[in-house]
Amino acid sequence: MSEEGVFVKRDPVVIIVVVMVITLMLVFGIRKSRHSSPIPQATTTGMKVAPDFALQSLDGKTVHLSDFRGKAILLNFWATWCEPCKVEMPWIVDLQKKYAPEGLQVLGVAMDDAGPQEIAKFAQQMGVNYPVVIGKDEVADSYGGLPFLPTTFYIGRDGKIVDKVLGIKGRGEIEDDIKKALAQGQNVQAQKTGL
Amino acid sequence: MNKSKTVLVLIALLSAQAVAQESFGRKSPSVTMSPVPIESVTRGKSGTVALRFRVASGFHINSNTPKEEYLIPTDLKLDPPTDIIVGKVTYPPGIDASLSFAPDEKLSVYTGPFDLSVTVRPLASVLPGKYSFRGELKYQACDNAACYPPKKLPVEFEVKVVKGAAAPKKNPAQSPNVHR
Repeated sequence: MSEEGVFVKRDPVVIIVVVMVITLMLVFGIRKSRHSSPIPQATTTGMKVAPDFALQSLDGKTVHLSDFRGKAILLNFWATWCEPCKVEMPWIVDLQKKYAPEGLQVLGVAMDDAGPQEIAKFAQQMGVNYPVVIGKDEVADSYGGLPFLPTTFYIGRDGKIVDKVLGIKGRGEIEDDIKKALAQGQNVQAQKTGL
Repeated sequence: MNKSKTVLVLIALLSAQAVAQESFGRKSPSVTMSPVPIESVTRGKSGTVALRFRVASGFHINSNTPKEEYLIPTDLKLDPPTDIIVGKVTYPPGIDASLSFAPDEKLSVYTGPFDLSVTVRPLASVLPGKYSFRGELKYQACDNAACYPPKKLPVEFEVKVVKGAAAPKKNPAQSPNVHR
């Protein structure tokens, strides 16, 4: 064995460094496995199909995500206690109006503990012009967990997630994502309409 | 330091940096409570306990009196020991703030350190000694772009109940009944 080899084997600095690297790798691995989500944060590559769900609307009807297949969907998770959600709501209302003729459907998912009546009152005050359903933790989990709100998924006409946006973004960025969602799976829509 | 050691140290530093970036890319909001010095309160009388909390940098929580009915106020709930009454909890006034996306909408929030004071009154029958108070501070935190679900911070502090100072004994020599 060379002299250097013996030195590396016994030097406490080397041992400390090796232990540190192994510990860090373990910590990293554990964190990764705990926080791995089925939906990647940046989904522009390797797009996943948005998980379907069945949730109650504010008027008690069951709404499935798949009810809107063929449309571009803006799936907005929000809560009444979330001020940024409230800030972006009027923009989303406007954009629903503007892009509905092109095939956009906004769907709000309220992650409140408040009852449907309170959520409905809030939605009415905000002039919400799209369906709002009552969220469940299982649905949030199926979308990779929602550590904070708002969280918005842009889903193409083919049901694939085009983008996931955490927190509020500017109106312009929301509109850009809507356009991407409308463009995604355009051929699916064309097949449906026989064009 | 020889070449092998330099390489190993570099690997360690790069690993540490990678883990740090992964772990702390987006901080979680937190509210912490400072240790509370034990306050002495005379039984049968009211005393005040000061509680200091701190909101992590970059976050705010709603004050006790948010400007909108839908916002969740910061609220302290305490479970006092038997025969000790919790009176008024005094909250500081909120600071007016607004989100960068909505500069015209004012919020009433706490940021950084903030103090609450709690009035406690042990009944006259309470035995002197230390008593633990447990409870929770309910809060809902946001940063500039997002809000986090409401959380409850466990709160615990102790109060030392002491006997009142003995009433001064009357001096019979000064009693008008003695000197007629």
